[in-house]
Amino acid sequence: MECCDVLSPHETRLQEETQGHASKYEKGRERVFRIMKTFQMKRPKIDVERAKYFTESMRQTEGQHLTLRWAKALKNIAEKMTVYIDDHQLIVGRAGMQGRYGVLYPELDGDFLDLAIEQLSQRVQSPFDITAEDAQVVIDEIAPYWKGKTYHEALSVALPEETARYTFDPKDPLMSRFIVNETSSFRSSLQWVHDYEKVLKKGFRGIRKEAKERLNALDPFSPVDNVEKKPFLEAIVVLCDAIVLWAKRHARLAAKMATKEKDPKRKAELTEIARICERVPEHPPTTFREAVQSQWFVQMFSRIEQKTGTIISNGRMDQYLHPFFKKDMDEERLTEDEAIELLECMWVAMAQYIDLYISPAGGAINEGYAHWEAVTIGGQTPDGRDATNDLSYLFLKSKREFPMHYPDLAARIHSRSPERFLWEVSETIKEGSGFPKLINDEEVVPLYLSKGATFAEVLDYAVSGCAEARMPNRDTYTSGCAYINFAAALEMTLYSGKMKKYGDEQIGIQTGDPRNFKTWEEFYNAYLSHQADFIKQAFIQQHHVIRLRAQHFAVPLASALHDLCMEHCIDLHQPKIPGGIDLGYFEFIGYGTVVDSLSAIKKLVFEEKKIAMADLLDAVSNNFEGKEDLRHMLMNVPCYGNNDPYADSIARAVDRAAVEFTHKYAKELGVHLDLRLVPFTSHVPFGKVVSATPNGRKAYTPLADGSSASQGADTHGPTAVLLSNFTTKNYDYRERAARLLNIKFTPKCVAGDEGTRKLVSFIRTWCDLKLWHVQFNVINQQTLRAAQRDPEKYRGLIVRIAGYSAYFVDLSPDLQNDLIARTGHEQV
Amino acid sequence: MKKSGIVFNIQKYSVHDGPGIRTVVFLKGCPLRCRWCSNPESQKPQPQLVYNPKKCLTLEHCVRCIEVCTVGAIRSGEGNRIQLDREICTECLLCTKACPSLALNVYGETMTVAQVIDKVEEDSSFYSRSGGGLTISGGEPMHQVEFAVSLLKEAKRHRINTAMETSGFCQWEDLRDACGFLDTLLYDVKSMDPEKHRVFTGISNELILENLQRVREAFPDLPVWVRTPVVPGFNDDPKDIRQILEHIHGMPNTYFEALDYHRMGKPKYEYLGLEFPMGDQKLDEEKIQRIHQMIRSEFPHLRSPGSAENGSLQKAAS
Repeated sequence: MECCDVLSPHETRLQEETQGHASKYEKGRERVFRIMKTFQMKRPKIDVERAKYFTESMRQTEGQHLTLRWAKALKNIAEKMTVYIDDHQLIVGRAGMQGRYGVLYPELDGDFLDLAIEQLSQRVQSPFDITAEDAQVVIDEIAPYWKGKTYHEALSVALPEETARYTFDPKDPLMSRFIVNETSSFRSSLQWVHDYEKVLKKGFRGIRKEAKERLNALDPFSPVDNVEKKPFLEAIVVLCDAIVLWAKRHARLAAKMATKEKDPKRKAELTEIARICERVPEHPPTTFREAVQSQWFVQMFSRIEQKTGTIISNGRMDQYLHPFFKKDMDEERLTEDEAIELLECMWVAMAQYIDLYISPAGGAINEGYAHWEAVTIGGQTPDGRDATNDLSYLFLKSKREFPMHYPDLAARIHSRSPERFLWEVSETIKEGSGFPKLINDEEVVPLYLSKGATFAEVLDYAVSGCAEARMPNRDTYTSGCAYINFAAALEMTLYSGKMKKYGDEQIGIQTGDPRNFKTWEEFYNAYLSHQADFIKQAFIQQHHVIRLRAQHFAVPLASALHDLCMEHCIDLHQPKIPGGIDLGYFEFIGYGTVVDSLSAIKKLVFEEKKIAMADLLDAVSNNFEGKEDLRHMLMNVPCYGNNDPYADSIARAVDRAAVEFTHKYAKELGVHLDLRLVPFTSHVPFGKVVSATPNGRKAYTPLADGSSASQGADTHGPTAVLLSNFTTKNYDYRERAARLLNIKFTPKCVAGDEGTRKLVSFIRTWCDLKLWHVQFNVINQQTLRAAQRDPEKYRGLIVRIAGYSAYFVDLSPDLQNDLIARTGHEQV
Repeated sequence: MKKSGIVFNIQKYSVHDGPGIRTVVFLKGCPLRCRWCSNPESQKPQPQLVYNPKKCLTLEHCVRCIEVCTVGAIRSGEGNRIQLDREICTECLLCTKACPSLALNVYGETMTVAQVIDKVEEDSSFYSRSGGGLTISGGEPMHQVEFAVSLLKEAKRHRINTAMETSGFCQWEDLRDACGFLDTLLYDVKSMDPEKHRVFTGISNELILENLQRVREAFPDLPVWVRTPVVPGFNDDPKDIRQILEHIHGMPNTYFEALDYHRMGKPKYEYLGLEFPMGDQKLDEEKIQRIHQMIRSEFPHLRSPGSAENGSLQKAAS
């Protein structure tokens, strides 16, 4: 587990946990376990209906306003797509066939869909199956229409040759270079959070009514009203009709199934489903169950609407569902167990929708069927009080007991988070699955204030995707962002703009032969030139991305739920929405790798002169073949993640140079394009293009992830990791975005109530240090075994036995086995 | 006051050696020779050369140490790794500077009080949240008494919570000086049997028990965690532990924690060129469970506030 808890072992762990927990928690959860068994461990299938009916409608609406075209397409889907009611389920609504499934978004990548479809079942990472009949539909009906029309094609044509060189393989624009990657062609938007509360308060009937009133109030002589606002508002009306129609088709199906159902209990359930789907999301819900169903319809319809990078997030669920929960509890209509059952019915439904990446780059960056449908709990109310409530604790309970990795639970922590909340968060973390991840109000709130939000808006932020924070009615930036491989910039410093992976091609700028560099400053400045050049290419990309996306994508649903879009009648995908704050970012991939490499070069080549630059180049270009001694010298310099000022000052300088660049040039793009250190699983594919680096990393192995230390380089324990993270930020600038941080603990470290208490105080200190994000891995036996097999990667793993501690890899195999056995025992 | 001493390790994020999240500073030198000692590198007062063959890159990749050794103490040995002849070696430590992989290394370096406190203070934001701080351990910290007391005094001046782990085998006056700057004392009582104590640790337990008594009389408010390593063949009979518990039962502010014997220190004997006196002996799982059960049921009020087990016990009891 390296980022966001979603690397490929996910699938195997999922199975193990199911077995491990089944006996303990299955009781009282028979329904969700039965549902789970219908799809678990089955390979996902591709459902083509969404793409088929979307394409069918888009063919007929060419030339019209894009948002209106999109709404009509959604209506066509809502009318024609098969609707399902799964056995045992209480919550209904699917974007595709039963079992685990993915859907297609040809507007993104339809130009190569036919080709990709053939390869998907053979792909190693995240494979999918498709029936021959459906594949034919893709080849005959879908792909041909989109040739020449997709966003992906438009972007690859638009990028200037110089920038394209860093982005796509010159021979095959399908293939990413993994140097300065764009992500906008495999997701039409960044992760996003809707204002679900709006649906619960107004219903789509209310939103429709508002749009109708606005339509009637338009100035009949105004060209803007006629050309821009009118079709936008018409689109909102069509959209509202579409989602209500879709819900009501479920009501009719449930009613029909109820008449045939023999089992009286299920018959009653189906009748109730029919009643609820008739009511929501058209009207505001009156009960907790109706509210959950209403939210679910919106969530699923939103997935039909567009491919949002790493999925639509769920917002502050413990806040907007709480009034319904409380009312039902007060009126004794609902028990806690029933509430948990409804939520878990939602979790098992979530688990069946798989975000399908057609492009090889998308698949590699989001390996292992990645998913981040973040559900936020805790935090503060818009007026600055603690927001934790009964429902927050119920989410944590479900997370401890429900055996699947859904949803992606995120807890907002602030300086006054109640002790009970932190205690239960810690107890949940100790379950070992890495949930919840924590986001820090004490960093997000002041930072977003400085970027232009009001207190009320930022205090109400929701966690989104991997580590983002969104303000659903104020954020307006949706462009997929650039992922920059700064380890490649480092490699180009060694080879004057070339990379071993790409042979003799001069990709980057020429900074000269480092063997001729006399001083550290000369080397460092050469690196900085590459770094600045990379960011420049990313910003050029982004300039095109922002312009092109508005021509290719629209989101009537997301726009209907956004105050500013409704106010100005502008689709959320348009580049500029008055009053919006555009919180974009660019990703620094390989932070630890770059810092440690620079530290090694500074210390050993220039300061201590223990290694000549020529020898270093010789060693890295031969992947340290026959140079193990030199490699170990390089590894044993001060590294990032140990609270060592030597390495951390380099880290901060590198961060600063990047932040200063964006401080100067983001204004020209009209957005915030801030420095982010969150890798998804991308540090693996980006590592695959970078040859051996001067931190002793072997060629084509993973880079350091997020703002975490290089694998195994953090040998001074978790407090040092936090402090390094703290000291390497540039607090005088606001141009920073999320930093993702992984911390590993052994179960022994957090054993018992005393362990929980110490974990709580560790989290409190993390909050004091104003670090953006943290997630914990409580390491179990399997990891210790992995450490045995691959000790180098696990150099920093500390194991504790009573009052004594040791580095696990330093122990003899005999003792390691002893410890593995004991840990297993402790975990029971 | 002596302002520097020999430190062989500074361990951050220590969660089992006193309250809260702590930094343990290990001082070198110990008058005891406990057979089970898990920190053999702590025994000698001077810095020591260690050799970890597992980290050696093998002679195929590296001969740097052989090249720098002026007395020829490093030769080719088993598995194409080096062999260190400690008879010839003068511990000049040149080889440790040449070794790229830290296979040859030094345990112990001279540090000033200011250097140690700077290091300890790095984690102060963790101490203030968790109630943690500095724990001085060893070796026997009282073996470098001036340095140890200076450290404690300086820590108190920096408002850092202090604890010290001691064998109790020291001059009463030294211990008394240290206690004056302590918030918690971790005190090893290994056995009530003087003869057994002598055989297994090299010294008798009389001074240790006497000092404990004095600490209780002179510093009744100081929390003392009495800790007993439960060692196979030495004190792993519940009777042995019961004697200790009965001895401390009734002492004010006194808690007890049984630490299970482990062999985690064994590889270090090899690195130092020493024999591990305990060999392959293991703790009998059933015996140790009986001991923990006895403490839980008969001496619940003595359970140490920092023991990992403690909380779950409270839960079980309530």
